[in-house]
Amino acid sequence: MTLRKMGFRAVSLGIFMGVTALAAADEPWAERTRELDALARLPSGVLSRAELDALTEIGKALFEANFTTLDGVGRPEATQAIDPTRRKHPREQVFFRTAGPDAGSCAACHNKPATGGAGDFVTNVFASEGFESADFDSLDPQFSSERGTNHLFGAGLVELLAREMSHDLQAIRGEALRQARAGGATVRLKLETKGVEFGFISADADGSVNLDELDGVDTDLVIRPFTQKGVMTSLRQFTVNAMNQHHGIQADERFGARWTGSDDFDGDGKAHEMSAAAVSALVAWQATLPAPTRQVPQVEGWAEAAERGEAKFTAFGCDSCHRPALPLESLSFADPGPFDLAGTLNDGQVPETAVYDFSLYDWAAALPRDDRGRVLVPLFGDLKRHVMTDNQIDALGNELLAQRFVERNIFQTAELWGVGSTGPYGHRNDFSTLDEIILAHGGNGRAARDAYADAAEADKSAVIAFLKTLVILP
Amino acid sequence: MSPTRSLLRALPLFGTLALAALCGPAAAETGFTSDVPILHEEALEAGIDHSYTGGWEFFVGGGVASFDCNGDRRPDLVLAGGASPAAFYVNESPTGGALRFRRLDTGLDADDLTGVLGAYPIDIDNDRHTDLVLLRLGRNLVLKGGPDCSFEKANRSFAIDGGRAWSTALSATWEKDNRFPTIAIGNYVDRSAPGTPFGTCEPNQLLRPRPGETPDYSEPLALEPGHCALSMLFTDWNRSGKPDLRITNDRQYYRDGEEQLWQMAEDRPPRLYTKAQGWQRLTIWGMGIAETDFDADGLPEYALTSMGDTKIQKLDEEAGEDRPTYRDIAFERGATAHRPYTGGDHKPSTGWHSQFADINNDTLTDLFIAKGNVQAMPDFASFDPDNLLMGGFDQAFHERGEEAGVALPTRGRGAVIEDFNMDGMLDLLVVNREHPASLFRNLGAATDWGHRPMGNWVKIELDNGKINPAAVGALVSVRTGTRTQTRRLQIGGGHGSGHAGFVHVGLGVSERATIRVQWPDGEWSHPYRVFANQHVRIIRGEANARYWYPATP
Repeated sequence: MTLRKMGFRAVSLGIFMGVTALAAADEPWAERTRELDALARLPSGVLSRAELDALTEIGKALFEANFTTLDGVGRPEATQAIDPTRRKHPREQVFFRTAGPDAGSCAACHNKPATGGAGDFVTNVFASEGFESADFDSLDPQFSSERGTNHLFGAGLVELLAREMSHDLQAIRGEALRQARAGGATVRLKLETKGVEFGFISADADGSVNLDELDGVDTDLVIRPFTQKGVMTSLRQFTVNAMNQHHGIQADERFGARWTGSDDFDGDGKAHEMSAAAVSALVAWQATLPAPTRQVPQVEGWAEAAERGEAKFTAFGCDSCHRPALPLESLSFADPGPFDLAGTLNDGQVPETAVYDFSLYDWAAALPRDDRGRVLVPLFGDLKRHVMTDNQIDALGNELLAQRFVERNIFQTAELWGVGSTGPYGHRNDFSTLDEIILAHGGNGRAARDAYADAAEADKSAVIAFLKTLVILP
Repeated sequence: MSPTRSLLRALPLFGTLALAALCGPAAAETGFTSDVPILHEEALEAGIDHSYTGGWEFFVGGGVASFDCNGDRRPDLVLAGGASPAAFYVNESPTGGALRFRRLDTGLDADDLTGVLGAYPIDIDNDRHTDLVLLRLGRNLVLKGGPDCSFEKANRSFAIDGGRAWSTALSATWEKDNRFPTIAIGNYVDRSAPGTPFGTCEPNQLLRPRPGETPDYSEPLALEPGHCALSMLFTDWNRSGKPDLRITNDRQYYRDGEEQLWQMAEDRPPRLYTKAQGWQRLTIWGMGIAETDFDADGLPEYALTSMGDTKIQKLDEEAGEDRPTYRDIAFERGATAHRPYTGGDHKPSTGWHSQFADINNDTLTDLFIAKGNVQAMPDFASFDPDNLLMGGFDQAFHERGEEAGVALPTRGRGAVIEDFNMDGMLDLLVVNREHPASLFRNLGAATDWGHRPMGNWVKIELDNGKINPAAVGALVSVRTGTRTQTRRLQIGGGHGSGHAGFVHVGLGVSERATIRVQWPDGEWSHPYRVFANQHVRIIRGEANARYWYPATP
């Protein structure tokens, strides 16, 4: 497939030179983001490396762009809510620190240690459900939940893992139903995928399933691997959400006339603010960010300490949730994906998806494989949600609001890859050291936390040495 | 006198009504941007070949009952046949695939199944097998449902006489603390009365259960005066928790009649709301009632089909808790649907079955109206296509019947909007007079590469326990973001057509919803958190909702 077939439009300055009659917004110096219009249509089919590079170049430019009102920044008549929601009263200011829009660009927050990375405490965002006209100007947790900015390195692999796990869990549900119907009796099966257990599901002969024993996964058995709560299905869903919340740029695929009756739902005078193709470019760039890796500083004693620390990490039981690696069957990333529902483009809404083969990238091709040929994704996570507080250790239970049906003290296991390069440490990014956040583990993490706390200082130090080898090398 | 001739006598008044409406709806045909569902007619391929036939007595009627009779939760069908026997069909449609039905031989006497005008499903004896009331020209038939779509006559065991009337309407509700439902049956013209058919409307009937362990309806009550009912519905119009009985009547045959609202009170006969109580006289050729609640304020709106204008009634500002004063908002909503929207026939339409539903899953209420000339009335449209009025974000309805594919040259009567292949997109069956029934499969929205799914959805089944297990009368409240949608589980309304089973709610772009149920006794449930695109079972008393999945084909 050629770039022309993919619908690329020239966006360089040169293309405009010599043109005498340019609309104001088309002038080379116009204060807008040309890459928003760089793609005429959705990419589709299996992309070559060159095509991927061209696509991700646009995606990166969008990620780094300082969006302006000419791009559609601001949403005076719409809230930050994931479901399109009108404000009761228009807002005068474009930016608003808590309810958003709160950022000029994606990279303004996602920048540690490089573009696409995490963010400092100053980049914390406020994850209110925000369905009402949330003019909240308070940081009181009864109105919002403050969250640190996560990094996105390796995010494409994370989404692929989640898709495969969702598929596995739903297949188990299907098998339970099949057995129940065939046998005329209730069948209870363990929900396990890639070695991670998600409780049990019981199927009745009439086709009903009892969901009471699920553990750490939503009732539709879709692993939602993004955000600290684990409530976003895909990079695509995250991107559409974030563009609205943080910039007031509304993607057609959710906020367009098909679903809202208006091409300018947020009432800022700019219609069709973000095409599905532009979303795809952003997704492609994020999905192909290299996975974090390991690097031992050339400092005497660090290698030995890290090796010992990794052993202690296992001995303490940290790896029961922070799984060193999860196996991945395929490196082919299809966008739009299979598990998004209406409001985020999915594979049923397009004639053909685009497929990004991560094995075209050296960083992915170099990942270890198991004896079945599966890629071992070294994320140090399990993509499962856990209770993180108990009666004694409750620092991570400092919120008052459930988010997307997930209770206040339940969070998805943080993937530790990259933790040597950047935080956030804790969902509010308010722990300054790894030691502090380890000691803040209660609930399901309590036993491992206690083992760490009771260990010799040298062993605790070794664990820190190990964790600091898990770095992002952009 | 034939309906054709008699109708001509009524035309002067009708003409006045129609002229106002022909000026066009207030809502211009702009701004509809949601998906239009493509409804593919495939009745014959699906195995349904059935016509509603007969003479003058069967100019009205032609209902259909949709309910699960074999425990697989797929909606099965019973179609009234008029002079032909009613037909039973078992749904064998693969999930998400082409519709497929198998004709069922019930073993019932063909004479009993002949003369059927309408069919309503209801579990009268609380045994979790849906029973069936067949409204007939003559003795109404009650069929007790059993396993595997077995039915047996139960008039005697339920002590329901069935009468001798020309029955055309039904509604049922569980009155407070009653073990069994109260059933209202609407009757049409008394053909044996002097002067028939004009001014000889038969009284309607109210069947209240007698105390006891088994259904006993041996003391029916006459609801007089009757005004030739063609649809009736128990409805909680004033949020009181006690439904009253609304009846739409055919002005063709009554004298001094009108639309009716019976005030139901425990342990005493119903009383008609009067003008002094705010009930305003309205005379229409009432054919069907549909209920919705546009703004989920607990005060429902009603679509009333007629010849010419469809009415959409909303409680007026002058209304009160005991003052049922309504105003017509059909014009401002663009839903008068008073004449055909395609085909070039500009004569007034004739509306029959009406039903609100979200047929494109965009969270906005749509309205289907079955249309069709009574028989060959020259002053009414002969090509009178069914309406698919799609709700828009501009609060108006937009006609999309032709684009959707329902604008067929048939005379529609009863209908049911139902998800026959369990894919979350509502399909449609229309019973036609002297023409095979139409069965439309919802393919989704058209694109240049095929069809794509529409918005998200959820379907909900309630289990109320031992009495009234299907929770007739319950209110389902579904919240997504700031939006609340409600559905009332009802038996009745439409035109001779009833439905039992999952309640469908479109969710648009919401991927999850919070559901609360007000059970028939008025108690509110705790919130149930569910994800979109699921069949949900809510069992009273259980902490969590269950999901249900159809067997794979």
